[in-house]
Amino acid sequence: MTGPTERALLPNGLNDTLMPDAAIEADMEARLVATFAAFGYERVKPPLAEFEETLTDGPGGAVAPNMFRLMDPVSQRMMGLRPDITPQIARIATTRLAKAPRPLRLSYAGPVLQLKGSQLRPEREVTQVGIELIGAPTLAADAEVMVAVAEALAAIGVAQPSFDLSLPRLVPLMCAGMELDAATTASVRAALDRKDAGALQALTALTDERRLTFSTLQRATGTADAALAALGKVFLPPVAKQHVRDLGEAVRLVREQVPNLAMTIDPVEFRGFEYQTGISFTIFAKGMAGELGRGGRYVLGNGESATGATLFMEQLVQAAGPQERPRLLYLPFGTNAIERRKLHAAGWRTRAGLESERDAKAAAKAQSCTHILSGGQAQPL
Amino acid sequence: MLDASIADSTIVLALPRGRILRDVMPLVKRAGIEPEAAFDDPKTRKLLFDTNDPNVKIVRVRSFDVATFVAFGAAQLGVAGNDVLMEFDYPEVYAPLDLGIGKCRMSVAEPAAMVASDDPSRWSHVRVATKYPSITRKHFAARGVQAECIELSGAMELAPNLGLCRRIVDLVETGSTLKANGLVEVEHIADITSRLAVNRAALKTRPDEMGAWIERFREAIEDVSDADAA
Repeated sequence: MTGPTERALLPNGLNDTLMPDAAIEADMEARLVATFAAFGYERVKPPLAEFEETLTDGPGGAVAPNMFRLMDPVSQRMMGLRPDITPQIARIATTRLAKAPRPLRLSYAGPVLQLKGSQLRPEREVTQVGIELIGAPTLAADAEVMVAVAEALAAIGVAQPSFDLSLPRLVPLMCAGMELDAATTASVRAALDRKDAGALQALTALTDERRLTFSTLQRATGTADAALAALGKVFLPPVAKQHVRDLGEAVRLVREQVPNLAMTIDPVEFRGFEYQTGISFTIFAKGMAGELGRGGRYVLGNGESATGATLFMEQLVQAAGPQERPRLLYLPFGTNAIERRKLHAAGWRTRAGLESERDAKAAAKAQSCTHILSGGQAQPL
Repeated sequence: MLDASIADSTIVLALPRGRILRDVMPLVKRAGIEPEAAFDDPKTRKLLFDTNDPNVKIVRVRSFDVATFVAFGAAQLGVAGNDVLMEFDYPEVYAPLDLGIGKCRMSVAEPAAMVASDDPSRWSHVRVATKYPSITRKHFAARGVQAECIELSGAMELAPNLGLCRRIVDLVETGSTLKANGLVEVEHIADITSRLAVNRAALKTRPDEMGAWIERFREAIEDVSDADAA
């Protein structure tokens, strides 16, 4: 580990983000948080590590297997490096902010570390930006979170995002209604989550009629209107019917505010929604292989209901596409500070010569400047 | 960057080379896709083929690679056996249709001479030659046996006879290759057929288009099975 090449090697899934990407990412993060602030969400900043039990409590249970753990020599207790920020916000809301008036609107932004990346996103360090709306168990709250996220995405220039809405509790409710055992329920959920028609057909524990119900349900995916119409024709127990009606109402509420938003419905998917209890959503964008973010309704440790959304910064940078290179003005050696301040006030980014140049233009180019200050004027290079 | 000829509106269909291709082409044609003439030319160097639909292109790749192309969104649609889908277990691949072709089974086989003396309930470790290490490990782990896999990409049936290992996990169609090499099937792991594989993000972001293709393949299967019945 001594040579310069070996020193450049980083562990799997960890990267240096260089210019201009680091600045683009920071700028996008600021714009997202600003949009959330405009909707009344106040920023909180939980720590990078905390005790294992508090990170894996309540909604954190689902992410526990993906958490780095270390021993805290001070307290001699196990600590976890957060693999997800949502459980931390849930902890804050139920402890330090337990007495704050509801509904409580919080936002956050920061890095998380995961033991393993996924197939499409091998990164183990991911920056999450998100919001949580706590103590408002209504469809209006679900809609507000989706609308705020849609508008935040528009603010950073993500073209054509698409929200895929899901009901992670629907299939378990149907299985419970049919009195299926735990193993069969798990097989049904897995087959439906992968839309694996063959696996569903191979489930001999189900009657033909039930197999047909589940396969009709699996086919009831697609654009929101088509899927809702198809779901209306599936035989569902009354509780499940109520979930579907709520879903239709949520779609209507979101459309009222963001009429052009692309929305699809997938009633059977549950991956990534391990702790969600109500309407959940995954955000995609045309031409992007992975998810941009996800969210939904869940229950906090104290029984309170909350809706949240998390966006993945690295994906958003990619989805927003190449950004225009900012203009950079070269200030030849000796440019005085008053002039520089004026240029800064006018919005210029400048880079100053540190010794007198023989050829100022060449020096400006070597410093990747787009303009040079010449005769008191910014001249393009 | 992607090839400029692959636009956002393009659908790439990944088909497996070899034995399945012959069975799958009638379905592809019934679904309304006619590849260009070069597709049937064994001497062609082309890898990406045009079709009668300007938005549809076909790639012909190794059967294991079909799943990978579809998982990463390089192809939106593909045809792959559930052996391949199970082995990779890619969460980004949906398999909404069983095409009912390429039927075979995945089995554990061992030399006929060994069967009589072998008591599987006493195993704690087995060494197996296979193309499917992940399925094999899972299959044996489920009954508390650790499987050490020797990965081979073909001619699995040779392994027991040459002393590489005593058991194999492989696809069995008629069983004649096993028989010719003095092996017998001792366990059945799964029934295998070819599936229509669909990329998850493509189905989410182009729901009408992808949904329509799935329906066309569904109708194509029904046509074929109706024709069989008649």
